[in-house]
Amino acid sequence: MTRNAILFLIVAVLFLPFLPLIIWSVARGWYFPQLVPEQWTLANWSAIFSASTKVTQGFVQSLVIAILSTGVALLVGLPAGRALGLLEFPGKGAIKLFLLLPIVVSPLATLMGIQFVLIRLGLSGTLVGVVLVHLLPTIPYMALVLSSVYANFDTGYEVQARTLGASPLQVLWQVTLPLIAPGVVVGALFAFLISWNEFLLTFFVGSGRVFTLPMVLFTSLQGGNTGLTAAIAITSILPALIFLLFSSKALGNDAAIGGLGDV
Amino acid sequence: MSEAAYFSIQHLTKAFRRIPAVNDVWLDIAAGERLSLLGPSGCGKSTTLQLIAGILRPDQGEIFLDRRQLNGVPPEQREIALVLQKGLLFPHLSVGNNVAFGLKMRGVSRAEQESRALAMLDQVQLRGFENRKPAELSGGQAQRVALARALVIQPKVLLLDEPLSALDASLRSDMQDLILRLQEETKVTMIIVTHDQGEAVVISHRIALMFEGCLRQVDTPEILYQKPEDETVARFFGGVNFFSADAQQHRLRLPGGDVLATDHPQQGPVQVTIRPERIHVILEPICSTNLLPVTVTQTRFTGTQRQLTLATPAGLELQAWVPPSQNVAIGQAVFAHLPADALWSFSHSPSATTPVPQALSP
Repeated sequence: MTRNAILFLIVAVLFLPFLPLIIWSVARGWYFPQLVPEQWTLANWSAIFSASTKVTQGFVQSLVIAILSTGVALLVGLPAGRALGLLEFPGKGAIKLFLLLPIVVSPLATLMGIQFVLIRLGLSGTLVGVVLVHLLPTIPYMALVLSSVYANFDTGYEVQARTLGASPLQVLWQVTLPLIAPGVVVGALFAFLISWNEFLLTFFVGSGRVFTLPMVLFTSLQGGNTGLTAAIAITSILPALIFLLFSSKALGNDAAIGGLGDV
Repeated sequence: MSEAAYFSIQHLTKAFRRIPAVNDVWLDIAAGERLSLLGPSGCGKSTTLQLIAGILRPDQGEIFLDRRQLNGVPPEQREIALVLQKGLLFPHLSVGNNVAFGLKMRGVSRAEQESRALAMLDQVQLRGFENRKPAELSGGQAQRVALARALVIQPKVLLLDEPLSALDASLRSDMQDLILRLQEETKVTMIIVTHDQGEAVVISHRIALMFEGCLRQVDTPEILYQKPEDETVARFFGGVNFFSADAQQHRLRLPGGDVLATDHPQQGPVQVTIRPERIHVILEPICSTNLLPVTVTQTRFTGTQRQLTLATPAGLELQAWVPPSQNVAIGQAVFAHLPADALWSFSHSPSATTPVPQALSP
């Protein structure tokens, strides 16, 4: 009984901040001391589909950038995580610390230098440039998650597959990846969400030409249109929720947690 | 060593950080033979197996299979299957797909994969388990699936690395029987790594005994029991009786008296051994040769035999294992008969004085 009550309380506390957001998104004005708005409207929700608000454009750009960053972070993180998780080599501790630096050091401190380099390379204000800077926070998370996944991985399975006739590439696709899939999904989820919610790096490197959903949200927030802002905010939560539901359904809750290893 | 042998290991050498793990191993194996690599843990037998499978690269030496040199050939192209102690069934695949794995990698059609995998499961008596996941199997069942998965690809050589050591004693003899039956049906050449000499004796045609990276003796189980090359080998196979003697033609001069031996190649000072189960204990001196008057100093009853410790007046100690029906008392004066064909001698060697790292008795 008390258990259920506590559970209810937790859900309520987590959900409560969203309630005014949902109400705002369908209200035509909602002012003190009204408990609930007097007039309702779907205008804000239809507005996010119109080109003038740039919500759809931002949504698509965010999605493309997040998918690309996650993909590249996976390509770097898989071998890096394997090396860190399975091999012993001198300087391993230093490399792990080095990997954590982008998380430890504020991006504000490094932005000037990054922007300078990207301008020289002609990548400032481009999608490629934004994807590159999104790799700064995503690769460390990916590599660290995958290193703990690999630390719990028995390479005997790979040896076994080789002696049964599998080439190294077949081993990767048929044995290794399916076995570490839960960890890969967790790492990808992290990377996707970090990229999806990234504002500061996109704001500077994108130079206003790459317009992601957080920037649309920020602009709308500055514009003072509370109803529209609420609708955009809810929209920006959706992909994360879908991803989370999809992955926990595909893996089972235990696998999703187990994939984290000892992170 | 001739190159004509079906499977041949020549001058195989491997070191880890300059510590030799496998040291100049030469071994010829005939097609269809069952050979055990036997030795205490850390003697290099598993390393040898991994070199054969192609998981490790040798520092020196060559491996030939069916006239083909295997150096540089990746494991998937060697036609050598490996079964490890843990079984290591792929947890994300069903039992049927585990067995079919090797066939799938070879691009065999789906229908053939299925029929061959099912036929193989039949052979290990696990038909009907094809849709289960490995997590739903017992240890013995998992090991049988691992065996089926290795044999379904019809390898030229089957390598087994301690396949039974993770199983209960009761399951072990069933698995031994299964391995023997499957080998006899498929005629696959088999190399099995084990530290259990009892298992090696039951399973193999020949045993290659390995100590500290070197092959010590390669022979049939009978010869290893009756005619070990030195004391270390004899002790590993449960030898307990060792004494110095002076060999003169067919006569061995022991501290307790002279005995005749039919088989002793060396002359002069030798080390003599006799297996404890070959010594007869008799109460009256019926015959006159090879009899030593002894006193019983200790008896141990093990259920299947009575283990006696005997001492001669000259201080020589002997272990004799006699049938449980033969009851003798401590302090009783009896005679130990050492049959002439049971005595075996080898020259004193420096290694004979070093203790065996892990001597196992049956």
